[in-house]
Amino acid sequence: MKLTKRLLVFAMVAIMAFGAFACKAAEPATTAPAVSGDSAAAPAAEEPKAIEKVVYAYATFNNIPTEETLTTVEEAINAITRDKIGVEVELKPIVIWDYSSTVSLALQGGEQIDVFQSLGDLSTAISTDMCLDITDIIDTCAPESKALIGENWLAACTSGGRLYGLPTFKPIALTQMVVYRQDIADELGIDMSKVNSVSDVTAVLEQVKAAYPDMTPVAAVNQGNLGLSPQNVDYLTDSMYAPKGVLMGDELTVVDYFASPEFANICNLARDWYTKGLVMKDAATTSSTAAELMASGNYFCYIASYSYPEADTAASLEAQCGGFDLGAKTIGSAFLDTSSINALTWMVSSTSEAPEAALKFLNLTFTDPDVTNLIIYGLKDRDYVLSDDGFMSYPEGQDATTVPYTSQLSCGTLGNFFIMYPMAGTNVESLAWELEQNQSAKTSVAMGFTFDNSAVKTEYTAVTNVIEQYLYGLVCGSVDPTTEIPVFLERLADAGMGTIIAEKQAQLDAWAAGK
Amino acid sequence: MKRHSRDDGASFRLGSTIILSVLAFLILLPVVLVVISSITDENVLISSGYTYFPSKLSLDSYYYMIKQSEMILRAYGVTITVTCVGTIISVLITTMLAYPMSRPTFRYRNMLAFFVFFTMLFNGGIVASYIMWSRVFQIKDTIWALIVPNYLVTAFNVFLVRNYYVTSVPLSIIESAQIDGASELRIFFKIMLPLAIPSVATISLFTGLIYWNDWINGLYYLTDAKLYGIQNLLIRIMNNIQFLKVSSNVSLLGTMSVDLPGTSVRMAMAVIGILPIVIIYPFVQKHFIKGVVLGAVKG
Amino acid sequence: MTKKKKKQQRASSAPLLLIAAPGILYLLINNYVPMFGVFLAFKDFNYRKGIFGSDWNGLDNFRFLFKTHDAWVMTRNTLLYNLAFIIIGTVAAIFVAVLMYELGQRSRVKFFQSIMLLPNLLSWVVIGFIVYAFLNADTGFINNTVLKALHIEPISWYSTTKPWPFILIVTYLWKYVGVNSIIYMASISGIDKGIFEAAQLDGATKMQQIFRITLPMLKPTIIILTLMAIGRIFYSDFGLFYQVPQQSGRLFEVTQTIDTYVYHGLMELKDIGMSAAAALYQSVVGFLLVLGANALVRKVDRENALF
Repeated sequence: MKLTKRLLVFAMVAIMAFGAFACKAAEPATTAPAVSGDSAAAPAAEEPKAIEKVVYAYATFNNIPTEETLTTVEEAINAITRDKIGVEVELKPIVIWDYSSTVSLALQGGEQIDVFQSLGDLSTAISTDMCLDITDIIDTCAPESKALIGENWLAACTSGGRLYGLPTFKPIALTQMVVYRQDIADELGIDMSKVNSVSDVTAVLEQVKAAYPDMTPVAAVNQGNLGLSPQNVDYLTDSMYAPKGVLMGDELTVVDYFASPEFANICNLARDWYTKGLVMKDAATTSSTAAELMASGNYFCYIASYSYPEADTAASLEAQCGGFDLGAKTIGSAFLDTSSINALTWMVSSTSEAPEAALKFLNLTFTDPDVTNLIIYGLKDRDYVLSDDGFMSYPEGQDATTVPYTSQLSCGTLGNFFIMYPMAGTNVESLAWELEQNQSAKTSVAMGFTFDNSAVKTEYTAVTNVIEQYLYGLVCGSVDPTTEIPVFLERLADAGMGTIIAEKQAQLDAWAAGK
Repeated sequence: MKRHSRDDGASFRLGSTIILSVLAFLILLPVVLVVISSITDENVLISSGYTYFPSKLSLDSYYYMIKQSEMILRAYGVTITVTCVGTIISVLITTMLAYPMSRPTFRYRNMLAFFVFFTMLFNGGIVASYIMWSRVFQIKDTIWALIVPNYLVTAFNVFLVRNYYVTSVPLSIIESAQIDGASELRIFFKIMLPLAIPSVATISLFTGLIYWNDWINGLYYLTDAKLYGIQNLLIRIMNNIQFLKVSSNVSLLGTMSVDLPGTSVRMAMAVIGILPIVIIYPFVQKHFIKGVVLGAVKG
Repeated sequence: MTKKKKKQQRASSAPLLLIAAPGILYLLINNYVPMFGVFLAFKDFNYRKGIFGSDWNGLDNFRFLFKTHDAWVMTRNTLLYNLAFIIIGTVAAIFVAVLMYELGQRSRVKFFQSIMLLPNLLSWVVIGFIVYAFLNADTGFINNTVLKALHIEPISWYSTTKPWPFILIVTYLWKYVGVNSIIYMASISGIDKGIFEAAQLDGATKMQQIFRITLPMLKPTIIILTLMAIGRIFYSDFGLFYQVPQQSGRLFEVTQTIDTYVYHGLMELKDIGMSAAAALYQSVVGFLLVLGANALVRKVDRENALF
């Protein structure tokens, strides 16, 4: 007994003592950015204008370059930015799968990151004060970007009327398409031009199955996803794959997506395909992507959403899909809601010591082709070569895995997609088409509304877990919707779906009233 | 009687060999599948699944790796260095901490045991230790970043060694050394450390495995790819693939069609991650087995 | 306590403390000082205000762990799997260790041991792929080869809950039995050879030697490893429960553990305070259990208690 007491006292003292010590230890962390700010300001004595240094953190799929390589690219960028805006940049490429947590850790640890991006989590960044309110400095620091992006899109990055970031400027109007084997379609005499909706696809699949019994007509896009997404739904900030309350149609009424007839239709269709053997059995757990599956030659088609014109989509996918002759047919129409625009948003961190410099640099990634191409492709003639008509390709004998620097795969996530050099083989005309699609796509009535989930966090975790448990099986057809959907809805209600929807409706009403 | 028990021993040896052979075979089966699928043609892998007798072999996945051989070799170098240095330092500090805890006469024995055990359960989370190591000790982008944080002393290893001292090293050895007038430091380094060889060998292996398999430290404390260990290279590709498996991430990236390495390359990466161990281990093992199987000299 | 012991106790503990000093210092720096991070569990984290400046929000961050119907399932799964791992894992590791020890021949030990350590070098992601290779419905090895040969209908493994406790335990054993057996091998080799020789002279069979000498001598090791495992009984091996079942929702009933629940639930929220709260909850429960178990051991067998 005595010993236990002693131990407890010891433990308490230890915790308290170190808690106190910890405050001291953490102090340098909070003051540190100021120190680096000083050192950046040091050369001010020699130069007329102080050069401010900003750290630009971006997500990359490619190899992380070595520090030396990175320095060479930084120098090339700085040569431009020093004169133009009086800013020097430090590039911080971060592996994409850990991007959000690395940035979060660095910011919590008091490290300098001035510019960073969201990966679908803008509302969290706003509610936790991770990003800076740039409403008052955008007109002085990034007027060109503001004009380029336009008020409509910027509205998607606002909360309570304040602006928090700039959305990546790229083709975002995604259209649902079926990507299929042209050779098989031709052979069986299938007229794909007559396929105009998901339900039209069934007949085609049955025809393929009859001719090739060993083939599986439909591949999953990736785990748990047959691409059967509903049309014209505003997810109101939720993940597309774990929607809670959504808007369907033109009314500002939040509804439970899973209770909707649209959802039931999707599940029934998937179930129909599944029982007829038209779709892969393990779609809910597959570890292969659609491209890999198509490449194996065992599958006829898959359904996914793309932002390119049909012909381009098919052409660009052929290499990944095993070199088969592919076709693509649009079966839906594009629809934009707030999150389709703000999923990839560039922000200035709230802890930045030089927010104006950061925003000025960010501005260049939207407007200056030289800066943008340096970030994306590295140094010309070392990391890539440029053809006379302005197409980019890798130097002879090199590829993305061997050049010293490239972040080519991040092209859709950085600044302005339309000022990057197109890669060799790109159809330039389609760029214009994509730009137009961005403007002409149907937009949600709640465009610009962002939901803040901090009041219903507990319900969110519970509901998300229920969705994880039921959704994949339902949309992949491996369970019977007639019996499973009611159970699913009941579990959702238990987990607090009603509370979430009520909160969402309240916020939406307030937003609409303030408009 | 004596003869009987000797026969008993021989049949036991035979029985052990048979049972272990079966076990080893079963354990090896999945590993072999990894190796075979790394040399299976990608399309065969997708269409007919993983098999032990693929219809078409291909070395494409290894060509893919060879292209990056410079990076991989450097990463091997880093990992091997980190594993060796880390293990040596760790084993030394761990044993030094465990030994006093094993001495029944040591006044702070229980307090120390509790102090160590507490760390096994509670931690302040990654943010706090990140601030500690990166801001206070400034070890970012140094080789120490891969060695020092997290793994040098683990409560588990400390208790293993302490337990070994308590159960297997008679106190009489210490007492007689004390009577000879040896200092505590001398007793530890000259007598107790060598006596702990079986458990030192055990924790060396554990620690070595931890350092070899680690990528967390590299992820948090390295920005310079030059210092990447082999697991950091592999995990980047593996987890990017995992990232893309999550549908919401794909729709997020929208226009991008990312052509990432396929299944056979992933398997080749797994093979590359274990290959050096398979090559090096038999040499290390010679000493290791001597430690574990033969045990220490008894006093 | 004997007189002799008391006398020695008077001898200064300083030299021993000195020997332990590097380890103590390391734990202070690496583990104790960063413990200020637990504050996060009680904070509504805000980047601008930082860890210490953020507002307190009491126990709000803990609510999501209990206010769900899954609370019971995930707690039950976590506990039962850990119990199974403790019991079956220990038996299997000792079994292998004893067999290894009986091999005698060093070359054979070397051979078997190398093989048994291999799985430990594979990450859970890769192991997830291997399990999938065996079990997937369309092209899996079991369905396509084994069951076909036996003329059994293919089974949809990733939507059938029944076999999964077994699959997960086997996977766990496969990965860890080799490594865990080494601890026991070291302990067995620490046993005085003289004891075995004496027993042999008395005509004890090998079986008798194992049950009368080896196993009782392993008791302290078993106790200490079990106590340590109890401390982490509310934690689960995330990779095992996340990667191996391929996150299949149909299996959550038997695969959901506290760690996977927290991961799924916070994937979208990414709430720092809530994940800190989950970790603290797991630690505190483990801590209380271990204090209890340790007190029990202390009563029965003082020498073998952790502290």
